[in-house]
Amino acid sequence: MRGINVALAQIDCEVGDKESNVEKMKAIVKEATKRGAQLVIFPELSTTGYVIRDLVYELAELVPGPSTSLMEEEAKGCRAYVIFGIPERSERVEGVIYNTAVLLGPDGYIGKYRKLYLPTHGVFEEKRYFRPGGDVSVFDTPLGRLGLMICYDIFFPEVSRLMRLRGAQLIVCISASPAGRREFFEVLTAARAIENNAFLAYVNLVGIEDGLEFWGGSRLINPIGGLVVKAKYDEEDLLIGQVDYADLERASIAVPTVRDLRADLLRRLSEASEVL
Amino acid sequence: MTVEFILFTQLTAIDLRLTSDILKLDWPYVEERIERFIKDYVRRSGAFGVVLGLSGGVDSSTAAALSSIAIGGDKVLGLILPEGETYDPADVQNAKLVADRFGFRAEVIDITPVLNAFYKALPIFDSSDKISKGNVKVRTRAACIYYYANKLNMIVCGSSDKSEVMLGYFTKWGDIAADIAPLMDLYKTQVRQLALHIGVPPEVALRPSTPALWPGQTAKEELGLDYDVLDLILYGLERFMRVDEIAEQLGLSVEVVESVKRRWLTREHKRRMPLTVKLEYRTIGADFRLPYTLP
Repeated sequence: MRGINVALAQIDCEVGDKESNVEKMKAIVKEATKRGAQLVIFPELSTTGYVIRDLVYELAELVPGPSTSLMEEEAKGCRAYVIFGIPERSERVEGVIYNTAVLLGPDGYIGKYRKLYLPTHGVFEEKRYFRPGGDVSVFDTPLGRLGLMICYDIFFPEVSRLMRLRGAQLIVCISASPAGRREFFEVLTAARAIENNAFLAYVNLVGIEDGLEFWGGSRLINPIGGLVVKAKYDEEDLLIGQVDYADLERASIAVPTVRDLRADLLRRLSEASEVL
Repeated sequence: MTVEFILFTQLTAIDLRLTSDILKLDWPYVEERIERFIKDYVRRSGAFGVVLGLSGGVDSSTAAALSSIAIGGDKVLGLILPEGETYDPADVQNAKLVADRFGFRAEVIDITPVLNAFYKALPIFDSSDKISKGNVKVRTRAACIYYYANKLNMIVCGSSDKSEVMLGYFTKWGDIAADIAPLMDLYKTQVRQLALHIGVPPEVALRPSTPALWPGQTAKEELGLDYDVLDLILYGLERFMRVDEIAEQLGLSVEVVESVKRRWLTREHKRRMPLTVKLEYRTIGADFRLPYTLP
């Protein structure tokens, strides 16, 4: 596939109200596909809202599970690919929860990614609630190879690098980033695209939860760091941008950041980071 | 196609040179965020609007003005609550001036009879104990404001600023009592700048602060330093600067900065839920962690 239409569904969630959030997401999948979108991306923890704190223990669910099934119906009905965020309960061990991104397609559930880097500083308390995932995830789909990451993962270049080396063409970062962090993300989203010769779709939450004002500003970035589309700050928005994978080759000829990668340095990096 | 880069804000500032410049923020952006916060909270709470105590000072004037811009003056009620001992006609006049300028309603209620009845009812009442007596005034105002809030289905918008709250320079369960405190992440001198930005008259925005517990009380006299200096000390402490670094940069003695730091740390009890003994599975104020509100 050469060009695909990607919808950035920048929404405001009702904290703790899965039913209303899932309903809202289903309606947006319908609207976005009507407007030509093939892939619809929602923010981090979009089924529940971000600041759920101890409510996570009652809101977390299996993946696949009830909310995934409801979203699957919509994905199937609209023949769309959908990515959304959910607190995921472990199917094996009680009390273990992940901060997860789910990928669905026109035939139903495809896979999931569990957030690797859980911010626990300042206003963030994710390690109190979640167990980190174990690996990056890249999914080979008819819409291209999609790599999934979540919010704070973007601060760590190895996440997107590893995805790219496993073939990801479009890096999808779902996020719940509050005001004050915007500057970081505006730089890092472009950097991750440039250093990996990859497209990057960033979808952030909006709305206010416990005094945190999520800034939106979702964007699709091309492999040389240029903005394809950018959503409004601070308000709900639904934007569709086009990803043309033919750009990947042109970008990697212009700035061959993957070709010039040095495995020897990565090995040294690994050794040097063992003990700090 | 270009990527937009914007300047890093104070929130992430790590280069710390303690001058008044460091307290400058992007005021239109700050105004927008606070107004959005007030509007969103009122909408989600299902309240009709907000009620505030109006002292005629910069904090309450700014909180009321921002509320009025955010949700409309017809949904904002300012209560001017003077009492005989500290009555200053300029305060009432300033409060009314702000209400007029920002188009919200203001009512004057003289609380002197309530206070006199209160004093009379207490067998141990001692008029010479200025702080205990002054705190009764402040808590009486809070009771009046909450009466209006309950009766009119409004939320109470507090006007505490970060300087006062960090220093514990407020009355516990008094002026701090509110449902939201939209100015609480701004230092006093920052509130003054924001006030000027939104058009609060300079005579209100720059008027010296007083908690008005007793006649002639001023913040500077009690705290020993101007807010211009206090705010820079607090800003340094907020960003984990060492006391000696702050003292050196501001040309102050280590003892002075240490005393501000101590005042900040020893007032934590005023900023939290009352402390209890950890006895059970999840404890209020200790390990219950829940969202502030739910839909």
